Amino acid sequence: MTKQEQVKAIFIEEAGEIIEKLDVDILRFEENSADFNLLNEIFRGVHTLKGNANAFGFTRLGEFVHHFEDVLDHYRSTQEDIEEHHLELFVGSVDIIKEVMTCELDALPDLPSEYGGCLDRIKKLIASKKNLPIEDLMEEACGSLKDLASEFGLSCAEQFENALSNAIQLSQASQSEGLNLYRIDLTLDADAYKRGFDHLLFIKLLGEKAASMESFFDMEAVPPLGQFTCDENMIRRVGTIVLTSQTEEEVRENFEFLFDHEYRVARVEPVAAAQERARDAEKTQEVVKTASKGSSENPSASATSAKSTIRIDTFKLDELFDSVGELVIAQNFIAQNEKIRAIEDESISRTIETLSKITKRIQDRVMSLRMVAIRDTFDKMKRVVRDTSKKTGKELRLNIQGEETEIDKTMIDSLSDPLIHIIRNAIDHGLEADAEERLNAGKKVEGTITLRAYHKSGSIVISVSDDGRGINKEKVFRKAIERGIITGDENLSDSQIFGLIMQPGFSTADTISDLSGRGVGLDVVKTSIEKLRGKIEIDSKEGEGTTFSMVLPLTLAIIDGMLVQAAGEIYIIPTLSVVESFRPEREIVHALKEKGEFVSMRGQYIPVIRLSDVFDLPVSERLEPWEGILVCVETEAGRIAIMVDELVGRQQVVIKPLGKALSRLKEISGGAILGSGDIALILNVDELRPLIEASHGGN
Amino acid sequence: MEFDGDVLTIGAELSMEEIREFEQFIRPRLEYIETIAIEAGGILQSSALIALLVSLKRTRPELNIPFLERGMTTSGAYGTLHWMCHD
Repeated sequence: MTKQEQVKAIFIEEAGEIIEKLDVDILRFEENSADFNLLNEIFRGVHTLKGNANAFGFTRLGEFVHHFEDVLDHYRSTQEDIEEHHLELFVGSVDIIKEVMTCELDALPDLPSEYGGCLDRIKKLIASKKNLPIEDLMEEACGSLKDLASEFGLSCAEQFENALSNAIQLSQASQSEGLNLYRIDLTLDADAYKRGFDHLLFIKLLGEKAASMESFFDMEAVPPLGQFTCDENMIRRVGTIVLTSQTEEEVRENFEFLFDHEYRVARVEPVAAAQERARDAEKTQEVVKTASKGSSENPSASATSAKSTIRIDTFKLDELFDSVGELVIAQNFIAQNEKIRAIEDESISRTIETLSKITKRIQDRVMSLRMVAIRDTFDKMKRVVRDTSKKTGKELRLNIQGEETEIDKTMIDSLSDPLIHIIRNAIDHGLEADAEERLNAGKKVEGTITLRAYHKSGSIVISVSDDGRGINKEKVFRKAIERGIITGDENLSDSQIFGLIMQPGFSTADTISDLSGRGVGLDVVKTSIEKLRGKIEIDSKEGEGTTFSMVLPLTLAIIDGMLVQAAGEIYIIPTLSVVESFRPEREIVHALKEKGEFVSMRGQYIPVIRLSDVFDLPVSERLEPWEGILVCVETEAGRIAIMVDELVGRQQVVIKPLGKALSRLKEISGGAILGSGDIALILNVDELRPLIEASHGGN
Repeated sequence: MEFDGDVLTIGAELSMEEIREFEQFIRPRLEYIETIAIEAGGILQSSALIALLVSLKRTRPELNIPFLERGMTTSGAYGTLHWMCHD
């Protein structure tokens, strides 16, 4: 990647972050439109976005945000009340910004259909605020476009400043103790060369003590050869960002022979100091506000302080994580090696123990690098709830719990779509159709959607609950029979019946809306969650509400596994699926002709699966189920009991992908290297079927 | 300075005097040159050379100057130098 491409990639990432934040902030502002600190924050975001968009030639985005910025600027400077329909325009404008950004990134020639209309409304709004007639408005619009043209095409000032700002940010990220960061602007006179000075001369002087240095030459004023002479300096300005051990005075000494107007030296604060200052300012603001207005007022809950962070490519993190995985395997090998264990030396035992502790600590810390709070995803859902509420005309309140819960970054990205679908589904179908139906059911008119994240038995659960009408179990059962999904002879638990609504093509919705109810979607949601090695559980009480819980592993790179032995081989069963393990009494094991073996548990007949049969393993003696151990697991097709010879233990294992040959075995989802150095296969329990079923094509 | 067919190769380390000579050399020949190449490994001595290259490109946009088109150069003495032409 070239430097330019790197800078562009940084812009795209930053622009994405700004837009995501705008999306959240604009909703907060809609809730409290008197919060002008928040409006200032929104304005700053839009302003930065405008500068960056123009710098990278995204002129359509730049034009839109330019006008939007005008409107925001008007309200933040006048602090006048904002009418509700104008707030709606603000929210719509953020939508347009998101869509235009996509168009710019994909270089699409067509803009979103609402672009022109929204832009016109913004222009009319600002014209009305300035008391301009429409003709003047158009004239002003043309004037603005001319300004924009100069901003985009001709004016290099903004591009130049943006390039320097980016360089400053990069230098700040690598600034360490003892190094100072300076910005130097050189605006040498035309006769500088004749006086014996050259930009490069000064840059070289600075470079002698610099840890890093980046300079930008503005070549805009350099004319074609007709007006050019190399004896005259035609470079209008040069900006240099230098990270050096020199003091400001020492830096200035480099330019002592220049005229004062030909150079400017400015010290750039380190990130930490800037943050400290921002925090102090925030505290002062808070104290002043509390003192003057009392504690009831919330001093801009939106104003978020900068965090001391650096950007790291997730690919590098994955590499680091892989290396730590290898380290864990090597450490386990040492700890479990019989020859080493046989050495009776206390110091060696102590060293191995210390190594084990340190390895665990490193593993935990590296794991934590991939973890991010789910807050941002939940914040995005506020918008989904708002829009769906407006579209359906249902009054509702969103209740968010556990937004600090951390989840693997790679999972967060895949979680938004399923969550959006479940939330829309909950509002559209979960909640009662109208206020009257809720009142008749003895509920408040306002429905409640609760979004919750929490840890449970080594997994992360993200749940969406509604206090609506609940799922009609009988209706689901009947529909499933009608659709041929089940025969009706099955002995299904409540949870399994509710799970039927996630089968492809299943829908009990009487009407189809553009939000949900097409019978597609929930099955896609289920597939998406399963791709993350998670599962969805549905709990519902008719008349009280429904909860969709997405149970996800803590990370995609490690699973918590139960190690079992069968026919001399070690297998790993993800503990997330394990319900219980036991040695069955002889009386509860039944063998039915042509149907295989079953174990009777609490009134349910659960099929027994022998791993030796599934993988066609040679066995010297075929044990009876009551001679082995049954591990009961929950699968999408219901519970099954996996018969194993013995339970070896429970262990977190680093998942390794399988080679081409083994990847065809759908009963296996991956492999793992055990502490002993042996390889164990991870079972894909959803693909384990009783033999009789498998031989009939899984029907 | 080397002139091989359509390609003119110059060193990066031209002094101010050499840049003047280069400017005088290229003015009448600009139409015949397809590419101006900068020898690898050299370190710029004057910003006037960058300005001259930009001026040449503005005069004849089809002229190929790979060094200029890269937009940047890096050296131990100067760190990273970028030139922003806004064309």
